[in-house]
Amino acid sequence: MSLAFDLYVDRSSWLHRLDPRTKLAFVVLSSILLLNYSHLLVSAAFLLGIHGILWSGKVPASRVRWAWQRMWPITFLILFLWPIFYPQGNEVLLQLWRVRITTQSLLQGLSTALRVDALAFAFLVLLFSTDQARLVRGLVKLGLPYEWGLTLAIALRYLPTLYGIYTTVSEAQQARGWVIGKGNLVQRIKSYLPILVAVIVTALRLADNLSMALAARGFQSGAKRTYLRELKLGLADKVCLPLFAVSLIVFLIVRFA
Amino acid sequence: MIVENLHYAYPPLTPGGEPLPVLKGVNLRVRRGEFLAIMGPTGGGKTTLCLTLNGILPHLMGGTFEGRVVVAGMDTRDHGPGEMSHKVGLVFQDPESQLFNMTVEDEVAFGLESLGLSPSEMEERIAWALEVVRLPGLRKRSPFQLSGGQKKRLAIATVLAMRPQVLVLDEPVTGLDPLGRHEVLAVIEKLKREEEATVVMVEQDAEAVTAWADRVVIMERGRLVLEGSPRQVFSQVESLHGWGLAVPQMSALAHLFNRRQGTSFHFITEDEACSALAGELQSETCTGPRGSIQYPIPNIQYPVSFEHSSAVKVEDLWHRYDDGPLALAGVNLSVEAGDFLAIIGQNGSGKTTLVKHFNGLLRPTRGRVLVLGQDTAGQSVGQLARKVGYLFQNPDHQIFAPTVWEELAFGPRNLGFSEGEVAARTTEALALFGLRDQADTPPAILGYGLRRHVTLAAVWAMRPQILVLDEPTVGLDWRGTRTLMEEVTNLNSQGHTIILVTHDMKLVAEFASKVLVLDEGRTLAYGPTRQLFQQEALLRQAFLAPPPITALARRMRLVLSPSTLLRINSAEGPYGLRGDSLTVEEFYQEYTALRRLGQGG
Repeated sequence: MSLAFDLYVDRSSWLHRLDPRTKLAFVVLSSILLLNYSHLLVSAAFLLGIHGILWSGKVPASRVRWAWQRMWPITFLILFLWPIFYPQGNEVLLQLWRVRITTQSLLQGLSTALRVDALAFAFLVLLFSTDQARLVRGLVKLGLPYEWGLTLAIALRYLPTLYGIYTTVSEAQQARGWVIGKGNLVQRIKSYLPILVAVIVTALRLADNLSMALAARGFQSGAKRTYLRELKLGLADKVCLPLFAVSLIVFLIVRFA
Repeated sequence: MIVENLHYAYPPLTPGGEPLPVLKGVNLRVRRGEFLAIMGPTGGGKTTLCLTLNGILPHLMGGTFEGRVVVAGMDTRDHGPGEMSHKVGLVFQDPESQLFNMTVEDEVAFGLESLGLSPSEMEERIAWALEVVRLPGLRKRSPFQLSGGQKKRLAIATVLAMRPQVLVLDEPVTGLDPLGRHEVLAVIEKLKREEEATVVMVEQDAEAVTAWADRVVIMERGRLVLEGSPRQVFSQVESLHGWGLAVPQMSALAHLFNRRQGTSFHFITEDEACSALAGELQSETCTGPRGSIQYPIPNIQYPVSFEHSSAVKVEDLWHRYDDGPLALAGVNLSVEAGDFLAIIGQNGSGKTTLVKHFNGLLRPTRGRVLVLGQDTAGQSVGQLARKVGYLFQNPDHQIFAPTVWEELAFGPRNLGFSEGEVAARTTEALALFGLRDQADTPPAILGYGLRRHVTLAAVWAMRPQILVLDEPTVGLDWRGTRTLMEEVTNLNSQGHTIILVTHDMKLVAEFASKVLVLDEGRTLAYGPTRQLFQQEALLRQAFLAPPPITALARRMRLVLSPSTLLRINSAEGPYGLRGDSLTVEEFYQEYTALRRLGQGG
């Protein structure tokens, strides 16, 4: 339960040491490129490259496997539905009644599926190798107000807690003979009411206490806030960032010139 | 620290309503390096007082504030909680809401970042604070994954690192298992001894207060009504009970002797009690460290009986959570109808996992559970709810209805009874649990003790044969605990089977007829309470200890001379100190019987 909302795996590697801002830049750049180039080979090469990065960044294979397990359903769905709904070209591979599967549409489906996977993995590179505190820190450095960053961090932190409260409350109501999630849609929604009420009341109490806890630890005490770990651009960042810049310029020239 | 004629009222709950006065003229001075304990019934204003000490009240919540609070020369009227946090470190009762970072290290760093310290200074203080609370090596861990005791210690570290002059702790050990309590209290003791910290601690547990505090103040209905050293304060047994507060068992014992025998005992520790009482027997002296002599105790290997009258029968039960370790590893248990069983053990020993199998919230990974003779497999939680009532630890996880009446009617209605039957049961439950006046009140606005009662009444209204209570007394003061346990005992005498999960050994000793000790998912011991509390070595294995009075009885037995023992053994009728007393009253009866024996022979 505790790990369900945190993808980060603590390792020591160049990828982990990379500034979160650099990794954010990577995500933005990848998205731009992937959204503009739909060729199968681009997506495939990109995915291969990302796996290389994850491997050299010491992200455990189990995490990558976990990600693919989540991606399979959508990958297959696209691969399966694309040729059916977007038939194109004339090279018919298979004809079932009125459904025609052509080579072109199959390839197109494959490239779309891989593109979605590649996009997802571009984000996962960031999430697997950056702890939430550093991620938020990076966003704040990029101009997000500290309070917003803190709010985001706290929201992420308390997701598992709220989930835990939800579980306990639904158990408490079931123990009193309440049946959850049966019947038609209206009945089903209604069945969650006693649970939601208790969860919300508990969450409000939690929020109240949290605001006092923040005050007790000198939040907004007037002193200028310092940080335990300042983000500093390292050697890897100084290599990556110019590389990203060059890629972007090349892309812009090729695309618009 | 000076608190002078402090009055405080919370702002009204509804616009145009009356303000809610809580503090009504509090005067308090705390010297540097002093360890002050604040005790008082729930709703007496203890937490509110804590919140005024660093300016959270009135700065964060408004309300009416009169008088003044000055800590280290800073008046809270002029300085908000942000500034006061440099001087006063406040540790809240609920660890969950004050640990809001992703790692232990960030948690401690947060306050230091607010102070604007340099990274190197922060590094130094984090290392120091984690060292003091004995959590080094867990810096990268998520606070969420820590145990209850570790969370509390981390919460202490977070404010400690800010080097406040005064440390204010609101019920730092409430709800912890005995091991966790010991860990936290040891940290506070160390702070007092090595750092000469000024500590203000709100605490309900009289034993802990006696052991640690220099001075105790009693707070009742917004006023300080009694103050002095633990010895002075706890000699006022009748007043304290009148306010609904607990006293240490040794003080209760001294009081019993003084009242009935006209003695003037004033012991509050086990050592003092032993010396005083052994001295009374003239020929005996209280020497020898505790437990140095191995007194033969009856061996209690209770075979699990498989009778048909059993309320709950557990056969080779294993449970593994989806993503987690083994929680139960082959538990066998037979609870007979009408039993009062206590389940004890540290957090994570499998207590809650076990009892959740009784009403189907969890299903066996291996083995089976029979409730009233029927296998729970194939019975839904809803069906089992007719037989097994389950009281959750936190009443707020259960309360949701707009009125107390509706809350009590919820269960019977779910079980499909007619409206007439639902009304009859609800009315009866209201009467039985003394909630008739609150029938139309929203349960959520009642005090904690009453909310607890509402949840028990709501479970009772379903008339389950078996009642599972998961740490029902956490957060209740002495009176609330007594009332609840008396009601539970009452239900037990009407034939309900009671299964109580608790960390409070005094409750176990006084109320339970049998005890199951769990340790890492296995049965460590199972047997009648009296014999089980004699197995000190066994209990220690699970980091448990018998209540002080039982320990004293055992020790007194050890210091008796052979001739006295001989007389006890050859005497007829009440044979004096058996060494296994479970309550103060029982100890008193046995001791006086022993003395009569001494005088007679």
